[in-house]
Amino acid sequence: MKQLSFETKFGASLCSLYVLWGVVYLFNAYFNNFIPTINIEKELLDPLQEGYLLGTDIYGRSMLGMLSAGVLHSLVFAIVTASSSAIIGVCAGGIMALGRSKIATLIEGIANSIYIFPTVLIAIMIMSLWEGGILTLWVTLVGVGWPGYARIARGEFLRIKTMPYVESARAIGVSPFRLFFKTMLPAVMPVIIVQLVLGLSGVIMSESTLGFLGLGTSEYSWGELLAMAKDVILEAPHIVVLTSLTMAGIILGLNLLGDGLRDALDPRSTGVK
Amino acid sequence: MIQSIVKGLITAWFVASAAFFCLRLSPGDPVERILGAQARPEQIESFRQKLGLDLSLPKQYQSFIIGLVKLDWGRSLFKDKDVLEMIGESLVPTATLAIISIFFSFLFASFLGTYSALLRGGWQDHLIRLFCLGSLSFPIFSLAPILIIIFAIKLGWLPVSELTTPLHYVLPLITLILPLTSVLTRVVRNQFLESSGEPWIAVLKAKGMGSFDIHLRVYKVCMPTILNLVSMQLSVILAGAMITETIFDIPGLGKLLLTAIENRDYPLVQGLIIYTSLIYLVLYVFTDIANSKIDPRLAQS
Repeated sequence: MKQLSFETKFGASLCSLYVLWGVVYLFNAYFNNFIPTINIEKELLDPLQEGYLLGTDIYGRSMLGMLSAGVLHSLVFAIVTASSSAIIGVCAGGIMALGRSKIATLIEGIANSIYIFPTVLIAIMIMSLWEGGILTLWVTLVGVGWPGYARIARGEFLRIKTMPYVESARAIGVSPFRLFFKTMLPAVMPVIIVQLVLGLSGVIMSESTLGFLGLGTSEYSWGELLAMAKDVILEAPHIVVLTSLTMAGIILGLNLLGDGLRDALDPRSTGVK
Repeated sequence: MIQSIVKGLITAWFVASAAFFCLRLSPGDPVERILGAQARPEQIESFRQKLGLDLSLPKQYQSFIIGLVKLDWGRSLFKDKDVLEMIGESLVPTATLAIISIFFSFLFASFLGTYSALLRGGWQDHLIRLFCLGSLSFPIFSLAPILIIIFAIKLGWLPVSELTTPLHYVLPLITLILPLTSVLTRVVRNQFLESSGEPWIAVLKAKGMGSFDIHLRVYKVCMPTILNLVSMQLSVILAGAMITETIFDIPGLGKLLLTAIENRDYPLVQGLIIYTSLIYLVLYVFTDIANSKIDPRLAQS
């Protein structure tokens, strides 16, 4: 493994800061009951007014609280969704590379059709027609997300399949189950983890896009906050700016970390920097 | 070529069916949801007949597919207009936005990407990379309001809303061009660097070809990858154009979709999704064919 670059470290620090932010908010919400509440009298306050560090939003909720709740919501939702996609994707990729030809072709066909689907549009359609909650959103995003992981996993499994250590494991009669999980999976994981980190920012983007279109599932979604903020952009530009910066920070952090890890872990990376 | 058309057709059928079953199998009764809780039973019944929901599922599916092929996509529930007609009216602004922004992004990215590849490691390269990373961190619906704050409110250079002059299109276009240019620049740069290390470049150099001609040839080799990326990004661009419209009040497909969602105008939502997916797929197939024309090796494999 190569030395991690400054950018990667910066990205990793940004991500850890956000995780810390989310955890601190969780504790405060749980023990101090610090949950943003609607207070119409205090609407659209600028930062540092009347004891609100970051001002208030259109319903008079504290912006600090709203953004913190958004961090927690986005992180938890992104981690759950992206890892579900990754798990399904790795299994599907394994079957595509190693399984019986008929089943493999079927799964490959499904994965390829979903892969060239216009993802965001499908998510918009499902969410608007079903009017479901966060579970529907989760199922939808996993449904369109797994083929990306499956394609990468398939390539990796095909590459590793012919390696001497796998052949020798097969030769001494390791069971297929053990061969998959113990022998080959660890070698596939690094590439998948890189994809997972980049996938997290993708999920955060999709979730907030839907929130912006009014198809969100949480009042703390950054997209929903921005949709409200754009109507009061003249009176309260701080809502737009703060929400955008909060969102940009985590997306930048995840992208930097993902890119850096890919360069460091990918054995074929030419180090073109 | 035939293969990619077939692939596109199958996917189109997939999308259309998904749209169909999404509506039919959605939890709860869509008719009751549209009409509200106070609706009388006979009202619900007649509405159901109007939508064709009283038939059996296979029958509905059959008439749905036939309707699609015959270009009879149903009527809007809210405005009682033909869905395809409504889509046709809103298509022009969206298509204009998408085409112009793709064109300029392509241009800027080709320039910035090759420039930063040629000056690899220099401060210009780092600056361009930083710029790309930065603009990619802002999703379109946060980029647009920020641009409005900077250019329309603080500086007062550009107008917003009510599209009367070409100047009104500048901000929406910047909103779309910035992220797309950033994605493409990084790919152009990396592709350019990768290809310029290949042995045939050394041969051209040894033969005494000028560096500009060599760069041009390297760029041509990168084309399929870049075109592929544009086609992979198309759904993002379309979705982006739609979101941009809702922010800048442009009467395009995005605005139509959003109002359709708000009004629970299911035939219109369904039609819009199928239509945009079709555009996307046609362009996808088109890039596939264009790629095999540019690089004959791809056609053989």
